[in-house]
Amino acid sequence: MSNPNTGDTVKITTSSETIKGKIMLSTDKNIIIKLDSGYNIGIKKQKIKSIIIEKGYQPKKQKTKKIPIKKDLPTISILHTGGTIASKIDYETGAVIAKFTPEELIGMVPELKDIANIKCKFVANIQSESMRFPHYNLIAKAIEKEIKETKPKGIIITHGTDTLHYTSAALSFILENLSIPIILVGAQRSSDRGSSDSHMNLICATKFIKETDFHGVAICMHNSMNDDKCAILPGTKTRKMHTSRRDAFKPINSEKIALINYDSDKIEMFEKTKPKPKENLKLKLIKEDIKVGILKSHTNIYPENIKHFKNYDGLIIEGTGLGHFQTKSFDKISEIEEKNKKELEKLLKDTIILLSSQCIFGRVNLNVYTPQRELKEIGVMGTEDMTTETAFIKLAWLLSNYKKEEIRKLVTQNLRGEIIKCSNTNSLK
Amino acid sequence: MEKIDSKIGLEVHYQLDVGKLFCNCPSILREENPDFIIKRKLKTSAGELGEIDETALYEFKKQKEFWYETYNDSNCLVELDEEPPHSINEKALDVVLQLCLLLNTQIVDQIQIMRKTVIDGSNTSGFQRTILIGRNGFIETSKGKVKIATICLEEDAARKIQETPSYIIYRLDRLGIPLIEITTHPDIKTPEHGKEVAQLIGMYVKSTGKTRGGIGSIRQDLNISINNKPRIEIKGVQDLRTIPRIIENEIKRQSNLKEIKSEVRKVNIDLTTDYLRPMPGAARMYPETDIPSINITQEKINLIKLPELLTEKAIRLEKDFNLNSEISNLVIKEKLDIISLTKKFSNIEPSLIATTYLLTPKEIKKRFGINIKTKDIEETLSYYNDKKIPKDAIQKILIERTQNKKIDLNKYKTSSSELERDIRKIIQKHKDLTFQAYMGLIMKKYRGKANGQEIAEILKRYIKQI
Repeated sequence: MSNPNTGDTVKITTSSETIKGKIMLSTDKNIIIKLDSGYNIGIKKQKIKSIIIEKGYQPKKQKTKKIPIKKDLPTISILHTGGTIASKIDYETGAVIAKFTPEELIGMVPELKDIANIKCKFVANIQSESMRFPHYNLIAKAIEKEIKETKPKGIIITHGTDTLHYTSAALSFILENLSIPIILVGAQRSSDRGSSDSHMNLICATKFIKETDFHGVAICMHNSMNDDKCAILPGTKTRKMHTSRRDAFKPINSEKIALINYDSDKIEMFEKTKPKPKENLKLKLIKEDIKVGILKSHTNIYPENIKHFKNYDGLIIEGTGLGHFQTKSFDKISEIEEKNKKELEKLLKDTIILLSSQCIFGRVNLNVYTPQRELKEIGVMGTEDMTTETAFIKLAWLLSNYKKEEIRKLVTQNLRGEIIKCSNTNSLK
Repeated sequence: MEKIDSKIGLEVHYQLDVGKLFCNCPSILREENPDFIIKRKLKTSAGELGEIDETALYEFKKQKEFWYETYNDSNCLVELDEEPPHSINEKALDVVLQLCLLLNTQIVDQIQIMRKTVIDGSNTSGFQRTILIGRNGFIETSKGKVKIATICLEEDAARKIQETPSYIIYRLDRLGIPLIEITTHPDIKTPEHGKEVAQLIGMYVKSTGKTRGGIGSIRQDLNISINNKPRIEIKGVQDLRTIPRIIENEIKRQSNLKEIKSEVRKVNIDLTTDYLRPMPGAARMYPETDIPSINITQEKINLIKLPELLTEKAIRLEKDFNLNSEISNLVIKEKLDIISLTKKFSNIEPSLIATTYLLTPKEIKKRFGINIKTKDIEETLSYYNDKKIPKDAIQKILIERTQNKKIDLNKYKTSSSELERDIRKIIQKHKDLTFQAYMGLIMKKYRGKANGQEIAEILKRYIKQI
């Protein structure tokens, strides 16, 4: 029996019939073929008597058209890092994987070439949940290089959505004195389907860079479930708030920066543009061996949970309510929680510990209740109104670039828009 | 005239009443105003092998904005394409497997959910999910075997409510309702045979007891080609009685053409057809990546129980309940639960129960234009079951109940002595009439108030005395 490859046109003879089709996948038990009707069916291998390859698979040559440069349009760069926005069907596994070239991206969103001269660069191809600190540095360096070489009006980073807000926070801290817009764009529906949000998110980000003087790191995603507007969201104050909706990204304790109307091209700005930095761009990278952890507090917690972080440089405890964590006993049952405090004290010798809140919205305050005051006394600090994710990135970045005493001051200082000292009255919606 | 060699095949679609195919929403069609509207646009996307399908491209060229009418209590994020599909509805899959066995098809070992690119906006995702499950079956007809090419399980599209030059309004209630698609080989011999095959397949599908009723719940397409020329697909045949005429008209149309291009056409009211869109190709399909493929094991197939066929059931009902074949078929068609009803109304003969539920409302509607509610039928029959009213009063009470008045049952009931006295009076007043003439006079006065049989008995006694 011949051994066919994916895409080969074959004739498969089983005990009861002969089936013609294209090989899609061969597993241990089954061969999946695509029939002329377009349907895929799996045939049990044990039924198959013979396979004849009628025609070997020949991939169609992709026509790549050179796009002429238009002098009146600004140059905008797109750096590709992976994720749903750049995902395609994988014939081998049948799953959606990120696998295409920057040229294909332009091919899929031809509208872009009428808004700006688009430069595409490949940086990484990674599902966003697998992003690690070295990836943030890699992207930051690619941005620096792109600014030097291409001098674009702005840069779009295509990125998986799961940890898009971690990357936007990381780039916000790493890129000091950034004078152009860096817009992270993702998609909640893969680009291979007609309903994908990827093209609209990309087009709106491109229009925003072209038409405004904004500089800094921001996110551009759908504003609602409608295909009408995209929101520009602050890089350090945004979070993925839904597993699947197009408008999953929401500002936390903050406001949108702008809204872009897809049809009318109207841009509503909600933030005044800050003066551009006078100094040159400087990269303050995150040390690749820095270890920061996140511990989500919960009822019935054990001291072992804290012990686990003994070799870490930093720890964010995502406390309850205003920033609470169990260190006091109230009766015999809760006696074990006294040990939590001892473990924290041990850990604090080498580890910086910050307390954020799992409420997501609102500000942490360690003054209101006695146990929190005691935590503050032993050296735990609150994260103000930062999200846990931004606090996590900020702490890793501070540990990479500053001394311990400086870090203790900088944690609660606003450096990149990550802390707003007056609590936003309108953020919980 | 040269002889026309025609090839005719059929494709039937039946909606299933088992909830939606890829989410847990109910499959109910809504008529009220929607709770909210979501506005979307669609883009063409390449199929699995990188080719954009001709159909998809055609629809893209006339692109519009799509507005989706949504209901909080019967739609979810899956229909809005805001959440990946859930696992397949096992009940729907079981019904299809039953049909695969009934129609003698081979069952695919490993089924794969496919995305069929559709960008007219009728699917929020830009594709319709469809699965090929059964292949190479057959049914026995009066003109021999008709081969069944495929049995597929699909999700139905959203309902088009309104179309304007700039947007189309769809309602999400229908989107995702499981749809069985059965396609025959072009084995249909004559236009009349087409109707027979459609009816026979319908009987098999309905025998599962899981089909939905109502307008649009059954749709038939025809595939017609003549003299080995390209195939034409005709969409949207609603009433299977029109199948023979549509086939005749299409054969006539094609035989007058010099050149035939393969295309999809739609049925007009006068049973002619108009161009709809180009024929879809294989490039239109690519795998649904959000749901793994499913192995249909022999163990699973062994667990599938075959339903009683409706043809068998009709004979059984005729025998068990002493119904004529017209009524027993109607009981099946209207899904009347005759078994529980005969238990509930044990003093009433089953045929009266069936006719009161199935024929009386139609008769009243036709004569008086009044709609009768099932609840009222139930209540009225219970009066008769409890011997509170005579049989002749059933229809009168049904009509009166629609006026929402309190019903005075005594009005319909005349005591025997009162009746007898009055009959005597009438006989004295109108002397020397025939039995029929007396009956006519008395019934005119007492219709619905007294039992005709009782009147006849009293009358017989007095006429004898005279």
